[in-house]
Order: sequence, then C-alpha cells, then structure tokens
Amino acid sequence: MNIYLDNNSGAPIRPEARDAMLRFIESGAANPSSVHISGQRARRALERARTQVAQSIGADPRRIVFTSGGTESNNLAIFGTLKAHPHRRRIVTSSIEHSSILAPVSELRAQGYNVERIAPDASGLIDPERVASTLDRDTAIVTLGLANSETGAVQNLESVGARARECDAIFHIDAAQALGRMHVDVMSMGCDLMTLSGHKIGAPAGIGALYLRDASIIAPIALGGPQEAGLRAGTQNVAGALAFGAAADVVHDHLDEEVTRQRDLSALLLRPLLDSIPGLQLNGPVDRRIANTLNLTFPGVLGETMLLALDLEGVRVSMGSACAAGAVEPSHVLLAMGLSPAEARSSLRISLGWANTRDEIESAASIIACVWRRVVATASTDASAEVAR
Amino acid sequence: MKRRVVVAMSGGVDSSVAAAILCEQGYDVVGVAMRLAQGGDAPSYRARRGACCSYEDFEDARRVAERLDFPFYVVDMRDEFGNRVIGNFVSEYLAGRTPNPCVMCNREIKFDRLWDRARALDADFVATGHYARVERCASGEYRLMRAEDSSKDQSYFLFSMNQSQLSRTLFPLGSMTKTEVRRRARSLGLVNADKAESQEICFVADNDYAGFVERAAGDAVRTGNIVGSDGAVLSRHNGIHRFTVGQRRGLGIAMGEPLYVREIRPATGDVVVAPQSELRSRGLIAREVRMVREPASDSIAIEARIRYRHPNISATLRLRGGDCAEVIFDSEGPAVTPGQACVFYDGNEVLGGGFIEGAL
Repeated sequence: MNIYLDNNSGAPIRPEARDAMLRFIESGAANPSSVHISGQRARRALERARTQVAQSIGADPRRIVFTSGGTESNNLAIFGTLKAHPHRRRIVTSSIEHSSILAPVSELRAQGYNVERIAPDASGLIDPERVASTLDRDTAIVTLGLANSETGAVQNLESVGARARECDAIFHIDAAQALGRMHVDVMSMGCDLMTLSGHKIGAPAGIGALYLRDASIIAPIALGGPQEAGLRAGTQNVAGALAFGAAADVVHDHLDEEVTRQRDLSALLLRPLLDSIPGLQLNGPVDRRIANTLNLTFPGVLGETMLLALDLEGVRVSMGSACAAGAVEPSHVLLAMGLSPAEARSSLRISLGWANTRDEIESAASIIACVWRRVVATASTDASAEVAR
Repeated sequence: MKRRVVVAMSGGVDSSVAAAILCEQGYDVVGVAMRLAQGGDAPSYRARRGACCSYEDFEDARRVAERLDFPFYVVDMRDEFGNRVIGNFVSEYLAGRTPNPCVMCNREIKFDRLWDRARALDADFVATGHYARVERCASGEYRLMRAEDSSKDQSYFLFSMNQSQLSRTLFPLGSMTKTEVRRRARSLGLVNADKAESQEICFVADNDYAGFVERAAGDAVRTGNIVGSDGAVLSRHNGIHRFTVGQRRGLGIAMGEPLYVREIRPATGDVVVAPQSELRSRGLIAREVRMVREPASDSIAIEARIRYRHPNISATLRLRGGDCAEVIFDSEGPAVTPGQACVFYDGNEVLGGGFIEGAL
C-alpha cells in the first residue's frame, strides 16, 4: 500500500506533464538557443510552456524567467534585487518562511544588512499592517510566502504591496505552495516578483519560475549566457519547462473543482481523526488556509515515531524539515507560532494532492488513528511526560 | 507473516552485516541509525571525524540499506542520550569515578528507549551488531552468553540485560569472527566492509574526554592536590576527572619508585598516589547490580571481569540485597576502578554485573 500524503514536499507527476516531457525527449531534445530548425522547435515549445505558466498567474509570458525551482527563484529574487539596488540596506521578511528565504536573509544579515523578521500570530498569520509599518525608503525587498508550506496559512498581502510601492521597495511573494491550491493573480496582488515551483503541482523537481513585473528589478546572479533575457544564464531545462507548462495548464483549467475536491477530502480525513484521537490539535488558521494542508499535533507521541510507523504502514507524511543525515527536526514555523518544542515534536504535516482518491483518504484516516493508538501505548513515561509539557 | 526486526545501525561493518544476515533469515528488517550526540549535519562531520553520529556514518548505513533494500531511518535520540548517558558520564567523572558509557548506552538507550521506538513500529525484535549470544534454556529462561570469537566478545557491555530484553533481542554476529564478518561484508558488496573499528568513546572527538568533561561541567570541575599515601602534597592537578584509579602515566611527578593512582577523593579533590604494592585489593563492592537470571543462591562462585580488557578473576559473589553485592577475589587482586562495570561470568555465561563502588 502507498498512500501519498506529502504533496507539499512534491506532488506525483501528472500524466499531462509526463507526456509533454516525453514528447520533447523523443523528438531529440535540442538546445533552444541553437539557430537550426531543431533548436527553433525546442525554442517554440519552451515559449509555449512559458505562456502556459504565465497564464496560470495572470502574467505576461515575457515576464516569466524559468529557473531550476523554488529555491533558485527565491535566491534570485533576493540576491538579484539587492544587486540591482545596491544602496538599499534593509530586508523585511517573516520568521515562517521557507529555508530558501530564511537562509539567504541570514547570510545577508551576517554581511551587514538590516533584517526585519516579522513573527506570526498563534494561528500562523502575519499581520500585514505590521509588515507595512516596517517598510521604509531604505528597504530593498520585502519577501513573504503566500501559502505556508507547513500549516497552509494563506497570508493577506494586498496592503503590503501598496505600502511597498510607496517606498519603492521590491515586493516578492513566494507562491511555491500556493499555485494550484488557490487563485494566484500577480496583478491583484501588486507584487514585483513571484516564485513558482513545478514539482508542487505535478511537474518533476528541477523546474521553477520567477515572475518579474519588470526586467530591471533584478540583476542576474548566474552569468554565462543570454538565456532567459539575460537574467538566468544556462541552457534551459526544456523538458522540465514543458512539464511545468502542461501541469500549470491543467491546474489553471480545473482550479475551482480541484480546490473543492481537496477541501472535501481534507474534511473527510480530519473529522474521523478528531473523533478518534482525543486532544488532537489542528495548527494554523481555520479559514485562511489552502485546503490540502493539515498540520496536526498528536497528543502523547513523538511525531518522528508516528511518521516512521505510518510509513511502514504505507502512509507517507512529513514533519518539519530533515537534517543532512535525514533525522527530522521540529518545524520552525510551529515554534514561531508559539507551540512548545514538545508540541512541535508531536506534530505532523499531512498534505493532499491531485492524485489522492476518496478511498485512499478513508483508509488513511483509519490507519492514522490505529497507528496513533499503538504509538501512544508504547510511548515510555518520560517521553510522554515531555510531550505533554 | 514475516517478523519485523529493528536493527540499530551505526554505519559500521558489524551492524551492517547483522542486518544482512537478518534479511537472509527472512525477517522484515527496518534499519535505524540513532542520532545520539550533536553532529549529523553535513558541515560538522569534518570537525568531528571519527566521532559518532557523523554524516558519513549515517550515509554508510543508508547505502547498506539501499544495497540490501530495506527501509532505513535516522531517529533523533539526542535528548535521551544526553540525559541518560552523557549526563551520567560527566557526573561520574566529577564524582571521581571512571564511567563506562557503552554499558550505560546499552542499558538506557539500545535495549530500553530504542525498544520503545521499535514497538511503536510494530517490531517483534531489536537487533544489534554486538558480538554476544542469547540462548534459551529448556526452562524457557534466556541466557546471555559470550561470543564464539573471544577476542571480539562484547558480552561485558551487555550484563544489565534482563529476561524480557533478551527475549526480544537478536545478536546475529554471536557465532562469527570479525574476519568472517568482513568477508561477508565484502561478498555482499557493502561499502563499509573494510571500515576501521571505532575504538574511542563515540561522542567524544579525538578521545579528549577530559576536555569534554570540562566543557560540560564548567566550574563544577574539582581541582586539588596529588598526595602521597602519607598525606604529603606532591603537586597540584587540574581536575579529578583527569585521573583513573590504577593509572600510572601522566601524573606529572617523578619519584624513585613508579606511582599509581590509588584513590580519588571528590570531597577534597585529593588524588592519592602510591606504589603498586599498595594498590592490591581483596575484592570490591558493586552497586546497581543486575542479574540476568534469578540466581540460585546469594553466594556464587564466579569469574569477575573488572574492566573490558582485563583477564577474569576467580571470585565469590555475595548478593547483599537491594542492588548491592560484594565480590571477594579468591586471592589478592589488582586495584579496582570505581565506576567501571564488574561483570560476573560462569564459564561462557554472563550471570550479571554491577558498577564498582570501591575496593574491599
């Protein structure tokens, strides 16, 4: 049995994405920068994919730069903006961002940048007024996630964009987890830069994009070729881009029905768990959330042990992040929301996706409850005392 | 239905071959590497080469699991290890004793906390790469036995195991020699077939245990004097944790006759030195005594092992009630080191053991 409930780490590849990749690979996979006809064909396919990705967020295709994924997009947004705005020394972000934002920001702080990290409230929401009030004319970039990968919390960012414009600060939204799970429209969000990721919506890992309102916002970080309007040197991952385009197309065409379906499945999973696990706690906002993500604190057990026990029963979930050696660490997002380290260590992230079926979710609900009963019975006294603290 | 076994994997050749043997025997093998001390992140392994929980060791274990195709996880047991093993290690040194953290790790972590995790994973057994054997008697009782390969025998470190632990523990290497284990690893194509033995205390880098204790204890380190057995002060020292009873080298004093540490007095910080002739003992007192099987009487003829690498000493074990015992050597024996384990053998069987409180 294999019930995959870790779609926020990466979704299964959609058949449309696989077909688009395979067609390109079988056609010879030429370099889209080559002047010959094979190269021109690759270039045309790449531009079609760019249009598909652009349409999914209401953008002009000429404003989309393909990258290797969300991490590169976030790095390019941050370092590229600072390179293009060398006199501005302030960076504003939150404490619940993905590590591909937090790590660059920490590095820049060590280099002498003035960094503001806004903390969320107990439900994982960032107060947009607080963000807006910290922006000033020294602020180079304000970078915030739209949908949080750990809790699914959806931030209210419209007022941030207005204030950023007043200060001429660059407003970057990390929408890696949002695409395909809610309406994402660059125009109404008023952002200058937006990160997108392919493998969260059913393309393979290794392809992502950065939307730019204007090409002059950033300076390139990777040099060595004219690709992507000179903003990202290196031969494009055309196969990946075609898969991304195909997946973005499907996501765009069926967004409302898929969001509704995943909301129903998520309720179908949560309700029996709340009934059978006394003290189970749902982390994150009740309403402002992407429907596919459930972050749950399981009373009296270590999340790590639950994760492994579920894995051996065929249910794949996740927890926080993994260290280089593969041991799981409690989520920095939950800690920032004020959960105790013990509560964070008892929490798991369950994230649904396009491939999950009703049958799978019903099975998962009974397996999770059953595994929790087993794990809580084996939790030794001092570990559970520690967890309960 | 296949029975599930959680194999504690260090990344070394022994636990890897143990896992391979269990796979061959048809068990449903789940590999688990325990993250015990700090480290485990890629950048730190360079600084802590040779110490446990390094990224390289976890990667070796992971490669073995990939090769043999069973699930493998790294579990975080730093809190338990820190509280129960490292904390004990430091406090024992500060109390003037010489701890054996491997014994403590087996008692507190591998056959206790790891078993809790294993049960949560629906496992029937825990297995390790220890060289020791478990036998089941006709009575249904389990006996803990020395390994076939006496040069590798690790039963000394396992004396605290009880019947319920033995009933759910597998030692697949108990009848193999190290040479056979390496040969098996090579024939299976395991990456760590020729990996060097780990000799040092796993959580202490470069075997600098004194520095480790000092960093952990800070001001609690007990400094004092090195004194002769007549009480005369010979020199100052930087902390009683730097000494072990029976130690000769590194005392920093030159006398006509070689001097050895005879006693460490934590209350005053005195380290008492004496010629070897004054270090003899006629036995020892052991605390935290555990017997593997219910003893037939409270006075038993045994061979006592007072350190891992020390020949057995013929003795009589007298169980004193509670968890205390006296071990009376048949003839005068060497100095005993408080804090070390004294393990009671009857031939190849481990009867039990305890921690040395002091000499008789």
